[in-house]
Amino acid sequence: MGNLSRREMLQASAAGVAGAAAAALPGSVTLASAPSQDQINMRYQVFNVDNVQHMLSTYMELNPHVNIEAISVTGVDHQEVATKILATLAAGNPVDVGFACTEVTHLYAGEGLAQPLTPRLMDDADEFMEYYADTSAALSETMLYEGDVYQLMDNFNAANMFFNKNLLAEAGLEMPGKEWTKDDFYGMAQAMTGIDGSFGYGWINRFWGSWMPWIFVNDTNVLEEERAPGGEWFWDTFYAGDERAVGRGGGWRWPAPQANNPKMVEALEFVVSLTQEGLTPAVEIGGGTTLLGFFSGNKLGMTPAGGFWAGGLINSGLEPGSFDTQFWPEWKSQRHQLGVCGPWILDGGGQEDQCWDFLKHYKKREIQDALGHFTPLPLTTPTRRSLNTEERFGQTGVENWRVFYDTIDERPDTGPIAQPVFVVELTNIFTRYTGLATNGEQTPQEALDNMQAEMEDLYARNA
Amino acid sequence: MASETTLGSGRRNWLPAWLAGDTVQGIRRQRMVLGVLFLLPTLIGLIVFVLAPIVVAVALGFMKWNVFRPPEFYGLKNFTRLFQHELVGNSFSNTFVMMAMTVGMLEVFAISLALSVHRFARSRLAYIFRTVWFLPVLLSGVSVAVTLSYLFHTDFGVVNYYLGVLGIDKVPWLVSSDIVRFSVSLATVWRNLGFTFIIYLGGVSALPQEILEAATVDGARGLKRLWLITLPLLSPTILFATVIDVIRLLQFFDEPYVMTRGGPGDSSRTTVMMVYDTAFANLEFGYASSISVILFLIILAVTGFQFLLSKRWVFYQ
Amino acid sequence: MTVINRLSTRRRGDEDVVERIPDWMPRSAADWLAMVFMLIIGILTIMPIVWVVTTSLRTPAESFTVPPEWIPRDLYFGNYLQVFDEIPFVYQMGNSFFVTLSTVVGQLTTATLAGYTFARRYLPGRDGLFWVVLATLMIPYQATLIPLFIIISRVFGLADTLWSLILTALPTAFGTFLLRQYFLQIPGEYEEAAMMDGANQFQIFRRVYLPMVAPGMAILAVLAFNGKWNDFLTPLIFMNTTSRFPITLGINDLQRYMMTGSISVVLAAIVMATLPVVLVYVFGQRYLIEGLMVGGLKG
Repeated sequence: MGNLSRREMLQASAAGVAGAAAAALPGSVTLASAPSQDQINMRYQVFNVDNVQHMLSTYMELNPHVNIEAISVTGVDHQEVATKILATLAAGNPVDVGFACTEVTHLYAGEGLAQPLTPRLMDDADEFMEYYADTSAALSETMLYEGDVYQLMDNFNAANMFFNKNLLAEAGLEMPGKEWTKDDFYGMAQAMTGIDGSFGYGWINRFWGSWMPWIFVNDTNVLEEERAPGGEWFWDTFYAGDERAVGRGGGWRWPAPQANNPKMVEALEFVVSLTQEGLTPAVEIGGGTTLLGFFSGNKLGMTPAGGFWAGGLINSGLEPGSFDTQFWPEWKSQRHQLGVCGPWILDGGGQEDQCWDFLKHYKKREIQDALGHFTPLPLTTPTRRSLNTEERFGQTGVENWRVFYDTIDERPDTGPIAQPVFVVELTNIFTRYTGLATNGEQTPQEALDNMQAEMEDLYARNA
Repeated sequence: MASETTLGSGRRNWLPAWLAGDTVQGIRRQRMVLGVLFLLPTLIGLIVFVLAPIVVAVALGFMKWNVFRPPEFYGLKNFTRLFQHELVGNSFSNTFVMMAMTVGMLEVFAISLALSVHRFARSRLAYIFRTVWFLPVLLSGVSVAVTLSYLFHTDFGVVNYYLGVLGIDKVPWLVSSDIVRFSVSLATVWRNLGFTFIIYLGGVSALPQEILEAATVDGARGLKRLWLITLPLLSPTILFATVIDVIRLLQFFDEPYVMTRGGPGDSSRTTVMMVYDTAFANLEFGYASSISVILFLIILAVTGFQFLLSKRWVFYQ
Repeated sequence: MTVINRLSTRRRGDEDVVERIPDWMPRSAADWLAMVFMLIIGILTIMPIVWVVTTSLRTPAESFTVPPEWIPRDLYFGNYLQVFDEIPFVYQMGNSFFVTLSTVVGQLTTATLAGYTFARRYLPGRDGLFWVVLATLMIPYQATLIPLFIIISRVFGLADTLWSLILTALPTAFGTFLLRQYFLQIPGEYEEAAMMDGANQFQIFRRVYLPMVAPGMAILAVLAFNGKWNDFLTPLIFMNTTSRFPITLGINDLQRYMMTGSISVVLAAIVMATLPVVLVYVFGQRYLIEGLMVGGLKG
């Protein structure tokens, strides 16, 4: 029902857009290229057109009848991108190929915006064997929803621990190994506090990163987790014989909130105690710029971040070699949290076949190798294992760069941050009560009880 | 005035007889035609680009719409929900508190600056001051966000560093529910002072010097002169500036959004932040519209009240 | 504009001595008070801006320091060069100029005409209409943005054009209100005098009223320029093509994927993008002050 009306809406809008194009000013790109009868115009949403220039030009060279119109969304935070995508959707003219991260995978799939790629993947399974063999199972699993695959991937970030090596040296410490623990962390945080006004450990109040890594290593999550049935076709086809793929299903489900379970409370009590003991500065809200500034200015010893910081810290002026990374310390487990990003296809847009053809181009190793967010500096972690190279990450001076991909290969229980369809509202509730606990106005137990109550209300409204 | 002779040349040839300015009816018609013509560009523009979207938004207030599916009629459910929604009421009270603090500071500072700089009106120094005060208005989004987060950070912030030099303890500007509304208001004053100031600058410069001088001769000086002569003469500008500032600040969004996202908890969440999050984050466009409608009615009432009061204190020459 | 020094008379011995005192020199207690107040506000407003400028001349790693450093140790202009590498800066500045200047000229026209009628010409229903105009300011833009975009893209087919940014900004309730207040302040005798001389209604508007609201127009021009130049949300929704972006979107691009760009490069772009606005303000101010002085003499 919803699908049908949406398709009608799209068709109506197509007519409107055609009329508009005729009336548009001369010199507009579409008119200037004088489309022939079988010319196909495809709208592709990108963050930055320079990032995907190589992919677009090679594809249009191979397919002269296809013109790809890049819809640039300059949004740096999720909210800006969502605002833009929703506006194009409301105007009845959504993109044919979109780009999204795990935050909205379930939303787009659940609302029928994104097309399930299952039949296409089965038809073209041969072509994708190499792609999935080069991609860890934990990553692929995040793109499944109720048994179907909805997105391909190009980059991800798991939250690892970043170390400021200047402060490390001042405190007389060595980089820890992969097996380090929460107690080791605590000792290091103490040692790196108070060096010319520094704090041992800092983080900002948001969803990814934040205190979420502590939730995961304490072997819990804000929401209950379970695996949807189905997906056997996917695992049997692409991950046969891979023991890391055993036990995976048709995608994650988050059936109920559990914000105030004892492990959650324990995790929050731990991070709040760090602030109370003066090992962590005041926890503020933010997009990461100030965190990056304080870390690179030798004010923070450790902080959660992912592969995107390898290039980000170089861009912010840190000397290569003055920072490094390691797994998150072990507590009850060493499970990490991650987010994955990649392209999806509009369902009902009428150009799905061409879009799929484009995605087959998209998945190629040499195409992803040239993506602007990997080259020249890695500004995020490639989902293709083979693109995580010495050449790429070595230039950032991060000695332990292999940790980024090892996180999912060696800790295969690593999973995505919770991403139900109403994830954005969930995020707001999470940050709200996190703020009230870290500033001491509510105890961790109170804050999480309130968080749980609001999340239950949210679930009830969306039932 | 050089145009004096042209003015005396009487009616132009291109004017049709029924519009000729030599009869009372002709003048009345001229006024009518010109009045309508002059209003047209604004009215057409407003109808197409402002009123039409508003009508759509109001209509959405009675619907449920998440963008993905067609809107469905929802009756008054959005409105009954919002009157029971604690967060909405809370956002209105935050908005009013921050609006009051911000407008209060803005008007007092802006009038004082305009009167102060008027004492040195033609000097280079005045020129520099007027430029400096306006600079924060010129800065755009990203820089304001970064600057404010750095300035007001509890442990690494600039403000607390200098307070520390003066021996004052760290103030949790953005992380304390009790202080955050004040911090955000302060930042908003910094960002908007130039805007309000320039409006007052126009008003102060247009003050009739003869009256002020006559008053001084009559013995009105200092605060007495300010209160009895200057401020009443300035009252039309004060009305304009306060009306505009109140309308703008009841739709408070930018500064609290970049500084706190409404936190800690909900202590700095404004009504427009509720509208934005409800629409674009929670995908409840209908509900967001219903909140906007209530906000609109409240702003309308406040503005109407300001105009009503203004009859008592605003003085047109 | 020449700086006119004030003359001061001081009694020395038996004769009055006329001295030239620099015009910025406070001469009374009230003057001193005003000067100190202006200085304090001046310092408070400019410090964050000094930090923005100095940070654009070094790296972020050297910028978020405690205590803050207001003067960069060595000037690093690489951030400025990098802006040109990463975004079509000149192009996007051109877009911003085109959109902003068109908007300012358009707003001055529509607001002056409408403000005049609302203040000076009686039409049936005029005051009710004025309230409708004013009321359009009172609904949050965030609520009408999507409907507006639907109109722009589906009714006019203007999505992703600079015209969409200009047209939607032409009607201005704020400007209409501002100029109405200026027209209201002009005494009616001027109009009567012109009528006596046989001026028609358009001439009265053009030759009598318009010159007298010049300061109001200057204020509107400055505020409209600034508002449009810094507009972010509208182009974010309306525009798709990088080469047609105004500079505000370009600056956002500089933050790069997952905010991994250097904030110093972002600030360098902001400094460069803000300079034209500052120049507009400086020149606008000159005109504004002149206009105000002339108006003041008449009043």
